[in-house]
Amino acid sequence: MNGAAPTSFDTWLAARADGEVGAGLDWLEAQRRSALDQVREQGVPGTKQEAWRYTSLKRLIEQGFARVEDEVTALQLDDIEELLIPELESHRVVMVNGRYTPSLSALGDLPRGVRVTGLRALLASDPDALRERLNGVAGESQPLFAALNTAGLDDGLVVLLDRGAILERPIELIHLSVGMDEPRVAQPRHVVSLADGAQATLIERYVSLGESLYCTNSVLELSLGRDAVLKHDRIQIESPNAFHITGLYLSQDANSRYVGVNIGLGGAWARTDLVTRFSGEHAECDLQGLYLAGDRQLMDYHIDVDHAVPACSSRETFKGILYGKGRAVFDGRVVVAKDAQKTDAAMSNKNLMLSENAEVDTKPQLEINADDVKCSHGTTVGQIEPEKLFYLRSRGISAPLARRMLCMGFAEEIIDALHSDALREAVSEEVGRRLETAPLT
Amino acid sequence: MLSVKGLRAKVGENEILTGLDLEVGPGEIHAIMGPNGSGKSTFSHVLSGREGYEVTAGSVTFEGQDLLALEPEERAHLGVFLAFQYPVELPGVNNTYFLKAALNSIRKARGESELDAVSFLRLIKEKLKILHLNDSLLKRAVNAGFSGGEKKRNEIFQMALLEPKLAILDETDSGLDIDALRVVADGVNALRNPERSMIVVTHYQRLLDYIEPDRVHVLAKGRIIRSGGKELALELEEKGYGWILEQEQAA
Ligand SMILES: Nc1ncnc2c1ncn2[C@@H]1O[C@H](COP(=O)(O)OP(=O)(O)OP(=O)(O)O)[C@@H](O)[C@H]1O
Ligand SMILES: [Mg+2]
Repeated sequence: MNGAAPTSFDTWLAARADGEVGAGLDWLEAQRRSALDQVREQGVPGTKQEAWRYTSLKRLIEQGFARVEDEVTALQLDDIEELLIPELESHRVVMVNGRYTPSLSALGDLPRGVRVTGLRALLASDPDALRERLNGVAGESQPLFAALNTAGLDDGLVVLLDRGAILERPIELIHLSVGMDEPRVAQPRHVVSLADGAQATLIERYVSLGESLYCTNSVLELSLGRDAVLKHDRIQIESPNAFHITGLYLSQDANSRYVGVNIGLGGAWARTDLVTRFSGEHAECDLQGLYLAGDRQLMDYHIDVDHAVPACSSRETFKGILYGKGRAVFDGRVVVAKDAQKTDAAMSNKNLMLSENAEVDTKPQLEINADDVKCSHGTTVGQIEPEKLFYLRSRGISAPLARRMLCMGFAEEIIDALHSDALREAVSEEVGRRLETAPLT
Repeated sequence: MLSVKGLRAKVGENEILTGLDLEVGPGEIHAIMGPNGSGKSTFSHVLSGREGYEVTAGSVTFEGQDLLALEPEERAHLGVFLAFQYPVELPGVNNTYFLKAALNSIRKARGESELDAVSFLRLIKEKLKILHLNDSLLKRAVNAGFSGGEKKRNEIFQMALLEPKLAILDETDSGLDIDALRVVADGVNALRNPERSMIVVTHYQRLLDYIEPDRVHVLAKGRIIRSGGKELALELEEKGYGWILEQEQAA
């Protein structure tokens, strides 16, 4: 591009026939250029780099995904019926292959002070609303995939809540991937911004029709003003052949509260970066996660919590169930700055291994530079306990069902943290379904 | 109904059961008493199929079937039930779901239809009453955070629900307060019938005041060294095990 040296991601960023979104917006052009430079500079990270130590990008690069070009217009509500959760009452936004699709969405009535729209549409109608916000949380210097997302900026969900606005029903984003003529990459970019005292629930669901090969590289920038409250459920059930990359960048001002539940079930290769930064005191961040990894599946989590200011609390509670030849990585890092006294941070990662061939690399780290803090971290990698299994079997329950019940029991804590009954039920069912067919060796 | 002959079992290199014989007829209640570490729980576990024990000799026949050849769940399907000395906590596993899975697994294995949610709940409420258990326990995880007494009552509650043919109660009385002991004993007595046999492992004569046994056995060093009627329990209460062990040694 621009006559410069090719990158391994040129196919991701190939020029669009109809030009880039927001063309002509100087600030956006500048951001895109800067992101592209960063992509070039970073090249393809190798496994020598800490953040990529356990995760090879080889297959992703070799695949050479093409940029999503055409809008999928043929889909009708009937086609996605099976993907909807009827009991879930939400303001529904459907995106198909990275593109906001109004015909499948059902926004309903939004209260005053709440704006829910597509990124593309907003860049056309009111770009100034995005000017400070786009890359406002992710920052100027970005990790590779966030930079790629910025360089290939296309569409996404934008949720803006004015000061004190309260949204009762959740906003549900369904990101649907459908197979195309060739393997494609979609790079949705979401911006969610809650002004002081605003409250909302956000549900993101990444799903697919069919089992096609594609890549999703999503970035979500979340900013919470003072006293704002965001509940956020994120369910990733991509196609078993898909690559899924996501970067969640969260910034929290004083007294704000974020509760995020991250469920990772699908995809062949899923990488999640969660980056949290506190900018005001007494903010709370609660990150929970559940992942399942079976044959030909990698679940890779990187969590960075930056306690830059005093008196904030963060919890990271991640649980994994691995079976077959499943692999997972949990790389959690909490940094407490020198002045961040009264920090309360707890990180835990527990893994249940159902087979000897499954593998997990778990590495929670605390970097504490203040002295008056309460910090802990713990990690376990274990198997199903025989005495629990025996207890169930002694009551007539078959070994496979008993195993499944114990796995569900292990997962329960996280599923329970989801913010709607309908979602809990749907996730429970999906987890159960996966465990039912999970190979135990 | 249950016939145990010359049963020997090892854990690792240690022989724990050293030639145990026991015959239990239909409808009979047998009490097993014996010093700590004599093998009572081991015997209960071997009967119900827990892993980790190697049976080196002898046989266990239950209603004509070789019990030792069966998986734990298959034994449960035949009607064997163990009330654990130390009930296991299952965090995250909902009690109601568990009970339903157990009951329906057993019904299915017996060719009966599964119970629907309504009949199941009705049944469960009825049994809860017998054990004076609060139905809030149903919403909780199996045994998780239950008090010692609640755990024991929960075992008998499960027994009441699953209606086994052979129930093995391993020290169900220990850790129960006086009232709870009464409740549990009443629960057990309510389940007494001419087809249902029970093996009641206990250290205390008091339980046997409530649940009157047909036979009392002394298990020591891995085998039954003395059997008698319920008066044997009284004698043990009074004199301890020393005298039997001495007589045994002399013989
Ligand atoms: N898994 C095991 N590994 C090693 N030793 C064991 C194991 N299980 C039982 N034993 C030993 O076998 C012996 C009998 O134990 P068991 O639990 O059957 O005794 P018990 O008669 O039930 O005692 P109590 O009255 O204290 O409950 C003990 O010495 C115990 O340490
Ligand atoms: Mg015992």
